[in-house]
Amino acid sequence: MLKKIFESIGKYFLFLKMVFRKPEKWRLFWRQFVNESDKLILSSILIVGVISLFIGGVLVIQTASNLENPVIDKMYVGYMVRESLILEFCSTMIALILAGKMGSNIASEIGSMRITEQIDAMDMMGVNSAGFLVLPKVAAATVLSPLLMLLSLVLGLIGGWFVVETTQIIQTASYITGIKFCYNGYYIFYSCFKMSIFCFMISSIAAFNGFYAKGGSLGVGRSSTRSIVATSILILLFDLILTQLMLY
Amino acid sequence: MIKVEHLYKSFDGVPVLKDINVEYEAGKCNMIIGASGSGKTVLLKNLIGLIEPDSGEICYGDRKLSGMSYKEKTELRCHIGILFQGSALFDFATVLENVMFPMEFFTDWSAAYRKERAQYFLEKVNVTGSDNKYPNELSGGMQKRVGIARAIALNPSYLFCDEPNSGLDPYTSILIDRLISDLTKEFNMTTVVNTHDMNSILEIGDKIGFISKGSMLWQGDRHTILQTDCTELRDFVCANTLARNIIEGHR
Repeated sequence: MLKKIFESIGKYFLFLKMVFRKPEKWRLFWRQFVNESDKLILSSILIVGVISLFIGGVLVIQTASNLENPVIDKMYVGYMVRESLILEFCSTMIALILAGKMGSNIASEIGSMRITEQIDAMDMMGVNSAGFLVLPKVAAATVLSPLLMLLSLVLGLIGGWFVVETTQIIQTASYITGIKFCYNGYYIFYSCFKMSIFCFMISSIAAFNGFYAKGGSLGVGRSSTRSIVATSILILLFDLILTQLMLY
Repeated sequence: MIKVEHLYKSFDGVPVLKDINVEYEAGKCNMIIGASGSGKTVLLKNLIGLIEPDSGEICYGDRKLSGMSYKEKTELRCHIGILFQGSALFDFATVLENVMFPMEFFTDWSAAYRKERAQYFLEKVNVTGSDNKYPNELSGGMQKRVGIARAIALNPSYLFCDEPNSGLDPYTSILIDRLISDLTKEFNMTTVVNTHDMNSILEIGDKIGFISKGSMLWQGDRHTILQTDCTELRDFVCANTLARNIIEGHR
């Protein structure tokens, strides 16, 4: 068991070595980068947006219901919602959602290419298949995912504002004051950085599992499941490590 | 020319190829035949470098495959065209883009010339009017043709075909066989076809190697295969009714 885990880790790093070889043609790399940005990032906007709006709203209700003490200013509801969104929800929770959405997409796409011999065909042409197929995905996911985090933050705050407006659970002015209170720009950087690292793991681990998929369509399904489970656990582990390193 | 000398390969201690010795000549349709599980595909994958042999040599001209660096292998692969069993067309690309794919990677030709050349090869394999279709919109026969067009797009010196007519109707199979044979002669390629289809063997087999249980038991051509004394080969050939009738007719 332990031997198998270490073998997989070694194989993963050898795979990354192939992925990060210099692209044969930069023109083709940029074309693929644009395609992958559309497929992985733009297509995730809807799900990220919907979830963020609702979670923002829910956070407002939950926080307000826990701050009913008259001594505590209601603006702290806005403050706590903002901090929760920036520090944890917009990076870690969104990354866990993307592990399912983006990870299964990448693993199944590359896995199907493996079992239908498309990757073999590329290798036989002399093309670095790992570089051509995986590098643009990893680059797009790593570089552009902070935009999803920022979008999630904005929509989460809007979702909270919408609930405040419609339910008057607290005054809108207090909510707005709260989300502007004690702003720390470093937290935004921390969250964007975490998101990049998580999306790097999601894309590279999913691609790795798909690239070495075997056993027909069942194998593709297995590789997809394996990548989601592995990345979900690693996201939580790295969340802990990065938080300790960057915030304490 | 491709030369194979004393090739051995095993998986988990089970020998799959045993002392294979064969030469494949240019301008000819060289065929690897045998029953399913006999080792044909393993031999083909060894020839194209997808699998490393346990021992033995594979030489392309006077260059040994085993001694080549990554760069040399990549360079050699630009001279190799492969038609995979399931065609292996790229799902993300249209028919035209599939044929243009190797040109985009390995040449600096202009986009207009790449397109013109891709269309020329698509015409050669009788696929016209489907430039912008995706592989899943094509029939099996059409996919094979596009696969062939892609395989020969860079004028390779070597063409490998893994069961080119599996899953095709007899008529389309013959068309694909003739196409491979005609292109081999026209471009003087060293073509190696892996098949167990007797019609193909009798139609285009310029040189035939019969594999059974990992050993190359017989070598000859389509004219001599029906008169063979090799029992295993005769059993294999006689599994086909047409061939059995011809053999019985001879007798």
